[in-house]
Amino acid sequence: MNELRKIWRVPLGLTIPAFAILLVVFGVPAIQLFLISTNAPSFSITNYHAFFEQPGNILILLQTIKVSVVTTFICLIIGYPTAYLIVNASKTASAALIVLVFIPWLTSGLVRTYAWTVILGDRGLINNVLIGIGIISTPLSLLYNRLAVYIGMVHIVLPIMILPLVSVMYGIDKSLVAAARSMGARPVLAFWRVFFPLSLPAVRSGTLLVFVVCLGFYITPQALGGLSDAMLSNFIAAQLTNSLDFGPIAAEAFILLLIAIIMLSLFGLDLSGTQSQPDSVRKSEYGWASALRTLRRQVGEFVVPLRARRWPKQLYQPVHSGRSWNTLAAIFVILVMMFLLFPGLIVIVMSFSAGAFLEFPPSGFSLKWYRSFFGDSSWTGAFWNSLQIGVMVTVLSTVTGTLAAFGLTRTSSRIRRVLMLIILTPITFPTIVVGVACYLGLVNLGLIGTKIGVVLAHSIGAIAYVVVIVAATLSNFDQRLEQAAKSMRAGPIRTFVRVTLPLIRPGIIGGAVFAFISSFDEVVVTSLVSGFSLRTLPLKMLENMNQQIDPTIAAVGALLVLMPVLWIVALYLTLWRSRRAHEAGLPLAGLADRAEVPSSAAGQRQ
Amino acid sequence: MTETSDTLQVEFRNVTKLYGAVAAVKELSLGVRRGEFLTILGPSGSGKTTALMLLAGFVAPSSGDIIISGKSVASVPSYHRDQGIVFQNYALFPHLSVRRNLEFPLEMRGMEASERATRVARMLERVHLKEFGDRMPSQLSGGQQQRVALARALIADSPILLLDEPLGALDRNLREQMQGEIKSLHCEFSKTTICVTHDQEEALTLSDRIVVMRAGEIEQIDTPEALYDRPTTRFVASFLGEANFLTDREFKIESDARTSDAMPMIRPERIRIIPPNGRLQADNGEHQFASGTIASMIYAGPLRKYEVRVGSTVVIIREHVAAGQQIFRPGDEVQLEWLRSDIRFVAS
Ligand SMILES: Nc1ncnc2c1ncn2[C@@H]1O[C@H](COP(=O)(O)OP(=O)(O)O)[C@@H](O)[C@H]1O
Ligand SMILES: [Mg+2]
Repeated sequence: MNELRKIWRVPLGLTIPAFAILLVVFGVPAIQLFLISTNAPSFSITNYHAFFEQPGNILILLQTIKVSVVTTFICLIIGYPTAYLIVNASKTASAALIVLVFIPWLTSGLVRTYAWTVILGDRGLINNVLIGIGIISTPLSLLYNRLAVYIGMVHIVLPIMILPLVSVMYGIDKSLVAAARSMGARPVLAFWRVFFPLSLPAVRSGTLLVFVVCLGFYITPQALGGLSDAMLSNFIAAQLTNSLDFGPIAAEAFILLLIAIIMLSLFGLDLSGTQSQPDSVRKSEYGWASALRTLRRQVGEFVVPLRARRWPKQLYQPVHSGRSWNTLAAIFVILVMMFLLFPGLIVIVMSFSAGAFLEFPPSGFSLKWYRSFFGDSSWTGAFWNSLQIGVMVTVLSTVTGTLAAFGLTRTSSRIRRVLMLIILTPITFPTIVVGVACYLGLVNLGLIGTKIGVVLAHSIGAIAYVVVIVAATLSNFDQRLEQAAKSMRAGPIRTFVRVTLPLIRPGIIGGAVFAFISSFDEVVVTSLVSGFSLRTLPLKMLENMNQQIDPTIAAVGALLVLMPVLWIVALYLTLWRSRRAHEAGLPLAGLADRAEVPSSAAGQRQ
Repeated sequence: MTETSDTLQVEFRNVTKLYGAVAAVKELSLGVRRGEFLTILGPSGSGKTTALMLLAGFVAPSSGDIIISGKSVASVPSYHRDQGIVFQNYALFPHLSVRRNLEFPLEMRGMEASERATRVARMLERVHLKEFGDRMPSQLSGGQQQRVALARALIADSPILLLDEPLGALDRNLREQMQGEIKSLHCEFSKTTICVTHDQEEALTLSDRIVVMRAGEIEQIDTPEALYDRPTTRFVASFLGEANFLTDREFKIESDARTSDAMPMIRPERIRIIPPNGRLQADNGEHQFASGTIASMIYAGPLRKYEVRVGSTVVIIREHVAAGQQIFRPGDEVQLEWLRSDIRFVAS
């Protein structure tokens, strides 16, 4: 008993519950998986060999990489200017735009994927409109092809690109660009020489995160793509349900993981969430882009004579800034926001349709699909399962995650870095890998197909969210306040309850909300570990999406979209009212501070 | 004054800048002479930064015109104005070494690499940072960063230098040292310098002329001496140094120079304290007297500060500590004496 007490005194002791869950559900089975893939104890590479033997497999692997690269690239092309415009908009506009980017990130990726089937389908929105105005007479086939996959994937991962970019761009001192201009750099050059290089760290982390998330994509390519658009994830999931031989599956999961790890370590993603980095680190951060810098410099030298000729001529020449450029920028941002938000809205609107089919625009208003939803016990049962699981996940992960965050912020920064990386693996590894490992973990525990099993599988991701958000709040928390309280004769517990807790409560609440949402929306891991009888709401929706087209599904989708949004609204109203919540502690502020980390968390949200 | 656009480097003509309904700068008219060191001084929110940003081209005037070197620059963007600026937090590019920072303005003007290198080397030497060229800005101390910022603003040889609260981020010792540095750089390069500050000591030490601003408008423009010795308004008198306003109830100051709304004012160091019976000078009409009680005495280095209650007014007096001086204690009855000619009349 005394021994146990001592453990709790050490900060690292606080991380034990979180790590215990992580190890049992994910860590040990992941190692097991690796051993299986190498046919331990005989250790051979036959499984890997067998994978690469089949040309079809290599094709799928290359296709997975290609789709991920293209998606990432499109996200960067759209995301960078969007983030730039958000940061440079007026204060209110930019706050509103950030919320608009957050909302799709928070709402179920499954529902948003489903929305695209409605938009792109043969009787979907686009075809209906085009036929309606007489441009075409037969529907275009927009769905079940590669383009649809790209549209859906970009739609889902775009927020993960935009949010870290926005958070870093906010940190770039505006007076630096002003300084460059005052020294004679025109706006484009000031951007290119000053703003852009300073935003590169965010470009790097955003790109990596999006890429790794794309590698693990599963639902979207399956729902929007044709047979030839399957990604490695689909391949793995299909085998998991059909085959009993774990060796090849394990090998495939590790190949996917290896690609992710190679990318992450090549570009050195820092997920540790530490705020102040020593200068040496920061310098090496800029170091990787030295090739780009050299290029920039050489181009610079090339135009030097041109500048020399231009400078005296342009001195004191007025320039009339183009209003048309501003209009163009506004149109661009509006289009991006519509792209992000429209699909979710469509589902909500359609759920009130009076027609018998999925159609848009709906032919009338009715609540009949909600009635059909609440009248069908298999739907309401799934809904209850989701709620129960969500609440249990929230409680479990908030408690263990908060403890872990406390422990981590009070250890040396090197240990913190490593442990943080480990605890974030469930939300940084490709989803399918996490799913396969969890499956094995729950098989070990004999919990496949049970609620407890699903709760555990969801909790590892939820704990990661809680740790990130609470740790962000804690790093803004001034520890001298605790010292002050102790100097006034408050004991450790009183100090915690009276000083620490009230100040970090917003962070804990934010973490809890994220934990709930992440569980309520989860479908990939769930589909692997829930067995034959247990159905959550997203899982049942996924099945029905594949089988039948019934507007009840739109009502389900609307519920899945609205629940998290309502949660967030409720959360903000409470926080707003208790203005005591000092600003740094607001979960959104915490996220914006270090959007790099929680948006890596977005990995699971497809 | 007979200032033509020949002697004026910079001219504000009736410039107003509105933010919504609030005028950050209101009908500002001001000429800055070539080579002059002009400081804009005022409390926070008085429109100093706005005035400087108007000049730098980051803010466009709502009305009025700004003339630089004889040309109207109302719609000339900052990158076509030839100015060196030291920003409040220095704005050194964190991703570029000190050397690259200094090269930046030269590069923008299309100077060849070899000539840039010589210029940078010369400038680094001038600001005593020869060994620091390859450091990153984050590896420098506050004072060193300040010198890099100054060097970067001066290196392109622009005729105008703008300083926004240049010493605000430094501690007291360093600030005095940098004041000297700025002064000597100004003498050496003789740029037309416009400096914005809320620190009166900085303004008094550095400037040829000071503009005191209040709520977006100019309160008074003058040399530091004149501004301190002959403030025209009550605001200027109390913003620069300490001032005793002598109310009619207790003092009854009469003068031909006095207009109806003017208020008599005297600086604390112009008053002498004498014992109640120790009137030394024969009153030839040049002196004035008042009697009061010592309320407090503060010893501050070479100065001694008394607060003396005269009726319901508290008069502040500063004395240099000198040998054989009589020291008064709180409660002592004393007489105050000053020269009639040291009284100033300020608009209230
Ligand atoms: N960008 C802005 N938007 C709205 N009001 C501003 C802005 N910049 C300055 N102001 C207002 O203009 C006034 C003068 O500000 P400023 O020039 O910054 O004063 P100072 O530099 O003397 O402290 C203040 O009342 C300030 O609130
Ligand atoms: Mg200011």
